[in-house]
Formats: sequence, structure tokens, C-alpha cells
Amino acid sequence: MKHRTFFWFILPTFLAMFFFITLPIISVVIQSLHTPHENILVTVENCDPFGCKKVTSIDHDATKNLKSENPLGKFVGLDIYFDRGHLALKQVREHWNNSEDISKFLSLITDLPLYKAIFFTLTFTFTVTPIMLILGLLIALGVNSINKKLKGLIIFFSLLPMIVTPLIGSIILFWMIDSRGIVGNLLQILFEDPNLSLKASTSLTWITLIIYGVWHAIPFSFIVFYAGLQTLPKDQIESAQIDGANTFQQTIHIIIPHIMPLITFVTLMQLMDNFRVFEPIIGFNAEAHATSLSWIIFNDLGGETRQLSAAATSSILTIFGIVILLLPVLIKTWKEFDFKK
Amino acid sequence: MAEIELINVSKSWGNFNAVVNFNLKIKDQEFLVLLGPSGCGKTTTMRMIAGLEDLSNGIIKIGSKIVNDLEPKDRDVSMVFQSYGLYPNMTVYENVRFPLKIRKVPKENHNDLVMKAINMVELQEFLQRKPSELSGGQKQRVALARALVRKPNVFLMDEPLSNLDAKLRVSTRAEIKHLQNKLKVTTIYVTHDQIEAMTLADRVVVMNKGVIQQIGTPKQIYERPINTFVASFIGNPPMNLINGKIKDGQFISDNVNVKKFNFNDGKYILGFRAEDATISISKKGNIKGPIFSIELLGDAIMVTLKIEESFISVKVHNDFVAAIGDVVNISIISSKCQIFDYENGYNLKYK
Repeated sequence: MKHRTFFWFILPTFLAMFFFITLPIISVVIQSLHTPHENILVTVENCDPFGCKKVTSIDHDATKNLKSENPLGKFVGLDIYFDRGHLALKQVREHWNNSEDISKFLSLITDLPLYKAIFFTLTFTFTVTPIMLILGLLIALGVNSINKKLKGLIIFFSLLPMIVTPLIGSIILFWMIDSRGIVGNLLQILFEDPNLSLKASTSLTWITLIIYGVWHAIPFSFIVFYAGLQTLPKDQIESAQIDGANTFQQTIHIIIPHIMPLITFVTLMQLMDNFRVFEPIIGFNAEAHATSLSWIIFNDLGGETRQLSAAATSSILTIFGIVILLLPVLIKTWKEFDFKK
Repeated sequence: MAEIELINVSKSWGNFNAVVNFNLKIKDQEFLVLLGPSGCGKTTTMRMIAGLEDLSNGIIKIGSKIVNDLEPKDRDVSMVFQSYGLYPNMTVYENVRFPLKIRKVPKENHNDLVMKAINMVELQEFLQRKPSELSGGQKQRVALARALVRKPNVFLMDEPLSNLDAKLRVSTRAEIKHLQNKLKVTTIYVTHDQIEAMTLADRVVVMNKGVIQQIGTPKQIYERPINTFVASFIGNPPMNLINGKIKDGQFISDNVNVKKFNFNDGKYILGFRAEDATISISKKGNIKGPIFSIELLGDAIMVTLKIEESFISVKVHNDFVAAIGDVVNISIISSKCQIFDYENGYNLKYK
């Protein structure tokens, strides 16, 4: 493509990205470095016939002035990044000094809100992504080999989890695993434990969330892999059969290399998707046991307090997280980019 | 090394019969060619031998073992595909090594075996290339090397030359013939190209619409075609065929008159090869007509006449001079002619 053509081709995208991605990110970065002004207090001595009293009150005019002069708030540098709600450097240092071994340290710092969220987010991302890749591939291979007449129906049912809104889906599952729900009740009967509750235990909640995440994500990987399998050259499979490969070896040596670009694509999409896990936590009411980075941002922004700065900081940290997560791919793309051409 | 036997083998999809009652015994170390037009069931037959296609009916034996229910991998055959079937993510070396790796041949032997196969097809320079970086002929040689690398019981080749250009086809053909002769492995070769069949085969099986027409050496099939289908399929040009009738030992058609036939009176088809006839402008002959086309072949000239709806070709020496439209006489003697049944096309001379 000529440079000129390329310029006009990329311009609309570039403008949209600039206004709706770059500018907001810059704004968020700035906000994360500021904190709202505290109210200016004045102390006045009120004297009445019964004596004099000192009264502290908010100086509304002065506060208003200050806010209009500096609408961003007070500049605090990286203070918010290091406070207890975020990176909590002070607490981490204390915990490091106070704990005898690494497991103690880990259990202490996962009590801090950001680390707790990171811990769950990473666990969720790195369990859901591989499981759904493998299951998606297995389902695609299975569907690919079944009778043509049944295929359409099976594909439709396999796609259902993706059709359901995540929040609705998780609420439905939430009620099913409730101790009065069908799954929760069944588990109680099976384990002969009337007090068994999936919601009360942290690890069971995590497992439930991960299972839900896999259930919701599988259709995506399934349909992408299934599409990829349709392009598989028949002669390669047949020559592998003649060369002596069984079904498993054919999958390893022929099918997987063939759909490798799709596997990379699905992995990337799912890493990003799972890293911003949010709806299931709300749907399952699981905040007490599992929080994620997205959930922290939501929590900061919601409610009465509207902690804009805190939310901004969490957002920036999340962006960093995604960058680190995608770094291998970014490096690969960078290396493949040929400057000379 | 193995004999192959096909007993009453049939294959059908719904109402369509791809292969019908195929009976054939292939001798050990034989080079057998399945020849026929596209859609005649030759590839299906080969795929059934390979195990890539189930039989609708019949028995296939390799060695003395019935292999009907064996997977392709357990039949110990190797196959060269028309579209090569190379693994695009592996180098040439890895492609050739793949069967050894899969079949758990001891690792220390791999390099020797692979290099031996590579040397046979002269691919030493391309070991580390990927298939996408090779030309068609090189790809086909990789496929050959992969088939050669382990000593299989049977080689199966499915139109291996059809994707190559004319020049490469001749050299690869020679290569295949040489390798088969050297390795002495039973080989079944599928093609629609009768020249390949003629040059390569010990025996040719001519098929049409799923049915075997004739089995024989290339010479037998060329000289004594069993019916008009084989006669018109084999040879370049194919055998000349003229509809007509025999009366008092004379074959008669429009402008055609050949004497000395020992058949009852009735309708027949006369057949003869282009090189068995002579042509003359002045001398009287058996067939008379204007020249339809003249083609120079190099050492010879192909002169074609149009008699009723059929073309009659005669090969003459390249010093023959004539123009299109000139009336010529073709001479042919009855001993060089074939007579086919008018109704079913069977050769009546070798009944």
C-alpha cells in the first residue's frame, strides 16, 4: 500500500483511538495523581450570654474557591498508588519483616485489597484460559466427527452459554448452587452435610467462579476451532494415517499445528477477557471471597463516596497488568515488524 | 513384500456404484497400474486397499491376511498422494522422518534411514526447507522419500505425476520406475494417463464406470483391446473405429471397403491402429476421403480423415506432402484389423 493510501485508510481509526482511548487514558493518569481537596475548616469563637464557645465549621466559600481554582484536586504524586488500598508498600514491608516464611507472607498480603484482587484475577485467568482452550478443542474435534444431521443442533446447544448474558447466567447458577437450589441441595444430600454451602467457603466459591468462567468461555474457543477444523486438508490427515499415526498423534502433529494461529488468537482474547473478570463476582455475590481488579474499580466508583482518584489508580494498575500479560505477544509482533519494508 | 488379492470388492454410495465386483490378484513385486478416465473408480479401489475407504462388499488380502477391518496404519502400506500430503509445519527432513517417529523405529537409526531415502530422490540440498518453499517436483520427491523411508509391504501411488509439468513428468516417471525396480516392492499406481500406464506397468488394469475392462500387459492391451472402450482409451492416437457391416467377408462402410474377414454377415465395428495403415494419393486403397487435418509429430505426420462421424488417423513418415482437403487413399490389411461386436463392443477376434 502506498504511504498516502495508507494514511487515509488508517486516519479514521487513528482519530477514534485518539479521542476515545488515548485521551481518556491520559485523563485517568492525571486523575490518579490527584486527590480531592479536603474541606477548609474554620474555627470561630461564638459568644453568647452564657459564655464563649469555639466552633469548628466548614468554610464553604473558601472551599469553593479552592475547588474552582484547582478543579483537579490536590496533587499528591504517587501517594495513591502506594496507599493501603493499592500497592500498600508500607504494609507489604511490615508483613515481609514480620513473617517467617513465604507462605505466611503470602497469606498476609492477600488480605490487602489490591493483592487479594490480583491473586484472584491471576488465578482465574490462568486456570480458565487453558481449561477452556483444551475443552473447546476437544468439543470442536468431537462435533467435527459426528453425523452431519446432528451437527447443527449440537452446535446450537454448544453456543448457548455465550448467548446468555454473563450477569444473568451467573445469577441463575447462583440460585442453583444456593442451599435451597437444586445443585446446592443435591450436594448436601450427597455429602450428608446439611450445613454444606458453596457460598460460605472461599475455595469452593473460587472453584464455582472458575467453572462458571470456563462454561461461559468455551463456546468462543469451540466455534473458532471448529471453523479452523473445516479448513484442515484431508490429504494431510490421510497421509498421517498411512504413516501410522493414531487419532491422538494426528491431533498433535497435524491438527494442532494447522490451527496454531487460531489457538494464539483465542488465547490472547481469553487472557484479556478473563483478566477483566467482573460479572460473575457480582452475579454470585462473591465479593467477600473473591474480588478482581475490575471489581475494585467498580466498587470505588459506585456508592456514595465516588472515589474517582482511587478508581483511576486501579485502572492504571489494571492497564499495567494487561500490558505485562500481553508483553510476549507485543515483543513477538515488534520483532516480526520489518522496518526496511 | 506381499501379494495382494481383491475378491469381489464393491463400493457404493447410496445408489452410486463406484466399484463393482473387482477381482484381482497382484503378484509380489509387481508394478500394477490402474488406468481409466476420471470417475472410473480407480482411486476408490486404491483407497480401499490403503484402508482410507471402507468396503461395501468383498475381501481384501495383503500377504495372506484379510485386512478389511485393519486401520491404514496397521496395513503396512505407504502412499504417495496426488496433492503430496506433506506436513507444512515440518521441514523436508522431518516430513521424511515422520513415519519412523510415529512407528517407534529406534531413534539411532532415524538419520541413516532418512538420509538413504533423501539420497534416492536427490533432495540433499533441501533438508531444512519447508514444503511451501519447494517446487511441485521437489514436493513430489519428498512425498516419494517419505513413502520409501520405511520398507512397506506395498506402495500405493495416486496419480503422483498429474501436478507436474510435462518435462518433469517424464523424469519423475523414470525415477519411479527405477526405484521400484531397485526396491522390488509391490506397487499399485493409479493414473488416467495411458502413456504412464504403458511405460511403467508390468500389468495394466483398465477400468470404466467401476468395472474392470481388461487386465493384461501393456502390449496385450495395446495390441488386443478387449472392447471398443479399451481400444479408444489406449494409444495415442486411440484406435481408429469405423461403424459398418460385413457382407461376404468384406467390411463395408461409406468409402470404406476392407476384404478377407471370416465373420458372419451383420453389423460390426472395424478397428485399426494409426501406424498399421499406409496412405497414398494416387494408389487405390481401402478407405477414401479428403484430409481433415495434418499434424507434425516430429519423426512422423498424423493425417486425419473424417469418415461419417468418426476420425480416422494414420501415421506416416514426415516426408509425406499433402494439403488439407486433398483426397487420399488409406490401405489396411485385414490381419492388422480388429473386429468389434456392434452391440456390446467386444473384440470378436480374440474371443
